[in-house]
Amino acid sequence: MIGPLKVLIVEDEALLAMELESLVEDAGHSVVGWATSLAEAKDMVDSTRADIAFVDIHLTDGPTGVDVAEYIGDRKNSMVVFMTANPKRIPDHFAGAIGVIAKPYTMNGFTSALRYLQEGVRRPPPTSERPAGFTLSPAFETVWAPAT
Amino acid sequence: MDWKRTREPAGAWHMTDDLHAEQGKGDPFAAAIRATRMSMIITDPRRPDNPIVFANDAFLRLTGYERHEVIGKSCRFLQGPKTDKSAIAQIRDAISGEADLSVDILNYRKDGSTFWNALYISPVSNDKGELQFFFASQLDVSDRKRSEHRITADKDRFEKAVKERTAELEAALEAQTTLLHEVDHRVKNNLQMISSLILMQSRTASDDNLKRSLSTMLERIEALSTVHRRLYQSKDVSKFDVSDFARDLISDLLTASGRSEISPTLDLEPIVIPAEKATPVALMVNELVTNALKHAFKEKPDGTRSGRIGIKMSQPDGHLNIEVSDDGVGMADANGDASFGMRLIKSLARQLRADIEWRDAGPGTRVVISMPNGPQQKGNQS
Repeated sequence: MIGPLKVLIVEDEALLAMELESLVEDAGHSVVGWATSLAEAKDMVDSTRADIAFVDIHLTDGPTGVDVAEYIGDRKNSMVVFMTANPKRIPDHFAGAIGVIAKPYTMNGFTSALRYLQEGVRRPPPTSERPAGFTLSPAFETVWAPAT
Repeated sequence: MDWKRTREPAGAWHMTDDLHAEQGKGDPFAAAIRATRMSMIITDPRRPDNPIVFANDAFLRLTGYERHEVIGKSCRFLQGPKTDKSAIAQIRDAISGEADLSVDILNYRKDGSTFWNALYISPVSNDKGELQFFFASQLDVSDRKRSEHRITADKDRFEKAVKERTAELEAALEAQTTLLHEVDHRVKNNLQMISSLILMQSRTASDDNLKRSLSTMLERIEALSTVHRRLYQSKDVSKFDVSDFARDLISDLLTASGRSEISPTLDLEPIVIPAEKATPVALMVNELVTNALKHAFKEKPDGTRSGRIGIKMSQPDGHLNIEVSDDGVGMADANGDASFGMRLIKSLARQLRADIEWRDAGPGTRVVISMPNGPQQKGNQS
């Protein structure tokens, strides 16, 4: 049994954040915070301890999701996965993030991604199949899914 | 050049008075030079400042000077403020180097007006090879220069116009691309919200039938979401890879649903369909696969419902064939929900002009959809 994850949600749409929280908790993990902007996200990152942060690119104060990822990356206190409807806005280096779950994701797609990420965070590299709709960053591609 | 002979004016012989060379009176070549319409002069480089010693009438007509005003003068009086310095330097070098030269130079008439002179200079030597004279002819090429300038100006103007138009079009394209991205982003977010709303509703529902209904609805919405996600991830938004979609769909429906006892058999050729067919095809495949998952497999004594589900896609001669098969209980056990699914499949098949056939595969069911998908169908979609 692998330990459950502590999750930070950075998402400006309340509806999506709510449902994401339910999905995370249904899967046995816990949500430690929900931020809707860069400032909120910074506060949250400084005051809580998450294993993984799901970060939307578009927040209430603009396309600041990449800045959130960089802020988290500088502190090295959790891993980042982007969740966006616009994956083309993610820089080539992914700002240190593991990868991206492209919106619109399916319920099963997200749940599979959670399991895959749980393995990756707790016992890297992940052993289950990489779910459809989840793309690894080039850096993690070489570590988690090296070409055989 | 125009060497046509014209009648020699009276007293033309006197023109050669200043010539000390051996060209004598009555020489028909000298007469021709005097009378030709081509402007010509001869200068004497052995005298200081290489003065003009002969000028024909054509030269005087071209420059507007009297003969006595030019004889004995250096040719420099033809130059003015706008005369190109490099052309002057070329003439100077040709004279000092005793070489031929052909150059276009802006010259000035006596009245101050200008003309473009296609100047030709050539040294003339005697039998012993000693330099005697310079021969020079002048041709007024102002018209040619004007059209050259006009062509250059036109070209510049056209190039500028093309550049401006290109910039406008590029800006318009960029605005359109931005708009497309914005709309795409909103559609994706809205699809995600619809899914979330259905999921939330489903969480609060206490009735199992309602839960099942909402879950089926969620699957259909998610099939649309997957189409949209895949479509706008690709470079070409007008084409849709239906095999990739099928792979996504089956892994999505199987991996997280905990139905690991069902093994998928995929036989998928890479098949591209036009974007406008993506949604109906995806919905049909979704119906067939979810229907098989829900109804084909009976619970076994150990509580599991194992079985095999297969998707095959091929495109023989301009057709797209999709085959969804299972080795379950067969068609006899279709229930009420399946019949709505059936209606959905039949309507979508009509929209796609597809033939659809349910076959008893004994055991199980095999559904075969066949639809035209050739290049002849392009631009002929409803």
